[in-house]
Amino acid sequence: MRQPAMPIRSPFESSIAKPGQGNVVLSLLPPNNPTLTTLTYKYPLKLVPRAPGFVPTPEPDALSDSCPSRPIHLYLLTYGGGLLPGDHIEVSIKLDPKTRMVVTTPQGSTKIFKTEPNSDSGVSVIKGHRKKMPANDHLSDMSQQSLDVRIGREAALCYLPDPSVPYKNSRYAQLQTFTVDAAAKGNQRSSLCVLDWVTQGRTSRGENWNFHFWKGRNEVWAMDDKTGKSRLLLRDSVILDDESEDLGSDSENESLEASEEAELKSHSLHTNTPPQQAGLVPLNVIQERTRPHGVVGTLILSGPVFDSLGAYFMHQFTSQPRIGSRNWSSTSSSAPEPALSTVGDVTWTAARVRAGFVLVKFGAKDFETAKHWLGGLLREEGSVAREFGEEALFCL
Amino acid sequence: MLDMLKTPEKDLQLEIAQLEARLGDLRSQLHVNYTTPLSSHLETKSPWTMSSELYKNNDSYNTFQSTALRASPLHALLLLSDSALPLGSFAYSSGLESYLAHNKPLRTSPSAAFHRFLKLSIASIASTSLPYVLAGYRHPETLETLDNDLDASTPCIVAQRASVAQGRALIGVWERAFRASFAAPGPSTDAGARVAAGAIDDFADALKSNLEVEEEYDTVPKGHFAPLWGVVCRAMGLDLQQTAYIFVLNHAKAVLSAAVRASVMGPYQAQNILASQSLQDTMMGRIKREWDTQVEEAGQVVPALDLWVGRHELLYSRIFNS
Repeated sequence: MRQPAMPIRSPFESSIAKPGQGNVVLSLLPPNNPTLTTLTYKYPLKLVPRAPGFVPTPEPDALSDSCPSRPIHLYLLTYGGGLLPGDHIEVSIKLDPKTRMVVTTPQGSTKIFKTEPNSDSGVSVIKGHRKKMPANDHLSDMSQQSLDVRIGREAALCYLPDPSVPYKNSRYAQLQTFTVDAAAKGNQRSSLCVLDWVTQGRTSRGENWNFHFWKGRNEVWAMDDKTGKSRLLLRDSVILDDESEDLGSDSENESLEASEEAELKSHSLHTNTPPQQAGLVPLNVIQERTRPHGVVGTLILSGPVFDSLGAYFMHQFTSQPRIGSRNWSSTSSSAPEPALSTVGDVTWTAARVRAGFVLVKFGAKDFETAKHWLGGLLREEGSVAREFGEEALFCL
Repeated sequence: MLDMLKTPEKDLQLEIAQLEARLGDLRSQLHVNYTTPLSSHLETKSPWTMSSELYKNNDSYNTFQSTALRASPLHALLLLSDSALPLGSFAYSSGLESYLAHNKPLRTSPSAAFHRFLKLSIASIASTSLPYVLAGYRHPETLETLDNDLDASTPCIVAQRASVAQGRALIGVWERAFRASFAAPGPSTDAGARVAAGAIDDFADALKSNLEVEEEYDTVPKGHFAPLWGVVCRAMGLDLQQTAYIFVLNHAKAVLSAAVRASVMGPYQAQNILASQSLQDTMMGRIKREWDTQVEEAGQVVPALDLWVGRHELLYSRIFNS
């Protein structure tokens, strides 16, 4: 089952031509020494590796005969701490067998800066933009980020970043692809823990899902190295689109005004505004579709390293109190019904979907609530800290 | 349509018109207002825009000719839009039951809450499933891949169960009922329909030959509803617009039917919504929006819906399976 030794590529090799691209290869040199054999990146992207002293303690019923390798940390940074319109970040990571990597975003949330409203009216350079870009092209206005991780057998990725915070009028699309070894079985499978979450924007500025477009797609593929065939194991895709381009240019201002109006309402009344009758143009399409949540997210767990965490989430989910049940043993005639949609202000669901994947989806009132809830669960279960060190939970 | 009336099959046309009349105003109203290029295409081919004389003349209502089944896709259209089609759709509320339980304060105005849900539900089914229906119709030979990809994209067990149960029921109906009439080789069978019929048979074989157990990454065919719907509609001779429209309409009907049984509204109110212009506009709008969406680009536009559907399992009492 031994893999042939990878030829070590020169760290000075510069194959990166396009801005925003980064390339990382993590290999395990004998006897048990994780080494970044490739680390390249280009402005505005910055990748900072770190090898913490943390060594995971092998359990008695260890996953493999050898003790797990030390996790290498990779910090994902962009200049300015966010993405401007037209920025394309492309990070490609390859984890050789038995390696472990922790990826975090030490700058805090991924800020998606706004697309200037008048960017398509002849202004060739967007304010604050890093390069000249063609006007009249929504696609090039869009900030894009793609992450492509290949996880070898027995390797593990722990990717718990801060949420993405799309500013008002921003456009953003991200595609995160994780490829695992299809031939690996049982405890040799690749492991991954991926969190992807998005917030309503800067709540301090009253933003409440006021961006134009946010799309996040996470895919897990199983690739057979021998045949080169790959098969989709999991796809999680969320599209938040205010559909303003459908309405034409006239109504765009209208919908903006309307959404501001809605904002005022929610600030002043603090009650559920009555839902609009079907047929009327909704105030803000994204607000309507995410309500009552201020942050929505997905956690994907797979592989032997995260088996216990997945089981823990499933157990926590199935042991949640039944919705609409009564406490019959109580003497009080009507037990107070909890605010159902907001038990602890987090609404969540966990499912063991297929191929051993556990998919957790959650919606919460705000970022702090979600962070507290998720961080609490991950710390209580403890396997992330045990396998990757407390620093892996840096963003939570 | 009109040239067909000159053929000896006029009787059939009359009988079909009568069948159509039984669906009432609903269907004719559904397609009054076409503004999109997509729907104008539909209008020209629309089998329910017949001359009014047909409605009046129903002398030959009782002379049914089974050999003439293939004369028009209208018959297949009516079969597939029938709420009595044994797919078990009545068992699923597509998250409505859970939504109502999660939004108790809104029960003060259940009708308004329902309107919101219906709109979200249609947007969601159109963005997540409709691309698979269209892809199944356009490329029946990729059915197995589409099935795998949709299975990978379905985020919770509850939705998966609902989709697979209805998809397998559809295969059952096709095998036991429709295939005999629609897959018979004949001059009128076009190549696409034959490919589609073959694809269903191959897929059904794959479904039966695979054991239920999944081993690691070797996933087995599941039988999800959306791509199968596209392929079956292709095999039965519907055009793509009809296929997409019935798919979304059937979904709306299922949700409305669930609303009636969950005591959100009465049956007349439900029919009123079903017949309404705003529902038609919503459906046509969503279909138009997803018409060119590739399956890779399909995704959930209503994240809250995933949560409600997933949490259906947590309801203390349930009358639906989803």
